[in-house]
Amino acid sequence: MIKSTLKIVCDSGPIIHLDELNCLHLLEDFQEVLIPDAVQKEIKRYRPLSLSKLSVPFVFSPGNISDNARLLTLCRVFSLDVGEIEALSLMEKNPQALFLTDDASARMVAEQMGFRVHGTIGILVRAIRRSQMEAREVLSLLKQIPSKTTLFIKRSLLDEITLKIKKEFNL
Amino acid sequence: MKTIQTEVPEQLYKKALALVKEGWFRDEKDVFSEAIRRFLDTHRPELMEKFIRDDVEWGLHGHD
Repeated sequence: MIKSTLKIVCDSGPIIHLDELNCLHLLEDFQEVLIPDAVQKEIKRYRPLSLSKLSVPFVFSPGNISDNARLLTLCRVFSLDVGEIEALSLMEKNPQALFLTDDASARMVAEQMGFRVHGTIGILVRAIRRSQMEAREVLSLLKQIPSKTTLFIKRSLLDEITLKIKKEFNL
Repeated sequence: MKTIQTEVPEQLYKKALALVKEGWFRDEKDVFSEAIRRFLDTHRPELMEKFIRDDVEWGLHGHD
């Protein structure tokens, strides 16, 4: 399949969670994976080797903070950390990009700003549509989330997602 | 009111104390109560479920 034309801006969560599942290669499908400075530092603290995966088109950006008053106010109201603020500032410069985060507050701010935003689960499920993985492989990864990752997801919701994918692909 | 005992990083505690010293809060207990209240406001279960359901829908039927 031809590589997507989409750029993504990453918060640390999805990189860490995909790496915990040994699935960082799913990001190879994107044109660029933009990582601001504070996010890079956070990822290095928890998964020091994850950013050395050469096949992923990581682009490391300086940690600039936007001067958009609305964005900064929302970031303060939702108590976002510096990595999330830098990532959202980067989104402002790349409004066509997709913001990847697993943090509910960061996601709320991103939606308020009109940015497109998804998380680790979205990237895993998308892998089937983009022919990066078989549905069965993704189901197996979803099953491993509670034991192998630091991504918190309610068991009943995980079961519901599993059922939906099985139904969609007649498994 | 429920009393809980927990450990927080030194830096975090210093920041909480600074807010108290500047007069924004009565004491550090109020700072931590407010922090938890805000976290719970933005991490409502129905909201997190909605985000994940949106992700699954995009994953299955999105166009990019």
